[in-house]
Amino acid sequence: MSNEKINFIVVDDSKLDCFIAEKIIQNTGKCETVKVFQQASDALSHIKGADTSGTTVVFCDIQMPVMNGFEFVENFENLDADLKQNYHIYMLSSSINENDIAKVKGYSSVKHFLNKPLTNDTILAVLEEY
Amino acid sequence: MDSKKKIKVLYIDDEPNNLISFKASFRFDYNILIANNTDEALEKLQENQDISVILSDQKMPGMTGVEFFEDIRTKYPNPIRILITGYADIDSVINAINRGHVFRYIKKPWTDVDVQSAIDEAHKFYVTTSMLAVKNEELQKAYDELDKFAYSATHDMRGPILSVLGIIDLTKNAEDMAEIKEMVGMMENAMLKLDNYIQNLHDHYSIRRGELNITEVDFEDIMKDMSDLYDIAGRLKNVRFDKSVEQVGKFRSDDISIKIIINNLLSNAFKYQRKDFDDKFVSMDIKVHNNTAIITIEDNGIGIPEKNLGDVFTMFFRGANDEIGSGFGLYNVKDALGKINGKIDVKSKENEGTTFTVTIPSK
Repeated sequence: MSNEKINFIVVDDSKLDCFIAEKIIQNTGKCETVKVFQQASDALSHIKGADTSGTTVVFCDIQMPVMNGFEFVENFENLDADLKQNYHIYMLSSSINENDIAKVKGYSSVKHFLNKPLTNDTILAVLEEY
Repeated sequence: MDSKKKIKVLYIDDEPNNLISFKASFRFDYNILIANNTDEALEKLQENQDISVILSDQKMPGMTGVEFFEDIRTKYPNPIRILITGYADIDSVINAINRGHVFRYIKKPWTDVDVQSAIDEAHKFYVTTSMLAVKNEELQKAYDELDKFAYSATHDMRGPILSVLGIIDLTKNAEDMAEIKEMVGMMENAMLKLDNYIQNLHDHYSIRRGELNITEVDFEDIMKDMSDLYDIAGRLKNVRFDKSVEQVGKFRSDDISIKIIINNLLSNAFKYQRKDFDDKFVSMDIKVHNNTAIITIEDNGIGIPEKNLGDVFTMFFRGANDEIGSGFGLYNVKDALGKINGKIDVKSKENEGTTFTVTIPSK
């Protein structure tokens, strides 16, 4: 684990789960910025409009109304390569459905499927990769 | 037996004499259609989709009976096929039976009793298979719904539980009392959400499996119930709640179903308000005349985008980015209406509001 601070984006329609993720992220002490979106489309426009400096870890829920996690990833994968390279997507879900988990593995831009809730241990394991 | 209920039988034979004598023998027992060749038979099949038994002679110029049965099997799978033939063709008959094209064969010359028992048996088989097809379709629908249900239920029930587990994990390291109190409040909300979901689930199954309890319905009472539920919520959320009831004559229906319908519509009307809008209102108008109740529930909230209007009654469809919706409410409404023969109509415009009009006949 390097000492470089990391940016975080949380996408979840549940306000509560956003709150939990935000807290857990802040508690790591490795967080440069954390941005929370309850609508996947807002997160997407944020990514499109942001400057691309620095590593950003994205935690994205699967089951959300209007634009779900899969649609978010599909839209993300259509972005320019140099825009995408700084983002590392983790799907974070309560789903225990095998189809969902298999589907997540099919997306090259998704690093891992994580089970909810996001805990201190999980996030430390994620941060090992950076 | 009335002619509409007679078994519809198609008989194909190239010998006009056979056709005539067949019709003469059985026209009292069955509704007999005859065809002199396979082309004519196809026309009859096309015109009469309710033919349940087809009898065909084996030896015909152009096409044999077995060939004809093979030919029509895909397009008309339902009618039961019976072959009529002399001993000479026994090999082709055995073949046809083994390949499943023919239910029975009757040897020539036939006796009335043979024909009658073959037709009756075939018809019984036809009825059973058709009923089975209907039942299978119903079962398939139930399975699909169950799959969808299991998928969403895990999400909607695990969601709040996992949230609470997440907060518990957080509180382990929290020391500030104010922060801990905030977290307890959040856990409470998560549990309320779960409880609400389970109550919806209960509604869903009481509508589905429950027997209707038809009694006299007093809409004044229903309005009072709804006042109890929503007056305070309305005041807290700064939403005006207008109510009017006009009931002429008695009305009979299942009042639990009616309450589930109105309650869900009102709950949505209060839920989907425009946050920064000042003059919020929800209105409920009930008119009962000529054995028909018309319930109109209107709000000036966020409205429903036109592209979603067709989906709002679908189970687990959620059209808004809110975290309160379960995708159950309007589905339950539609289900309950189905039970009491009601209808629902929705008109909506984004950022202007939504009007649901429910029409229920008295039983």
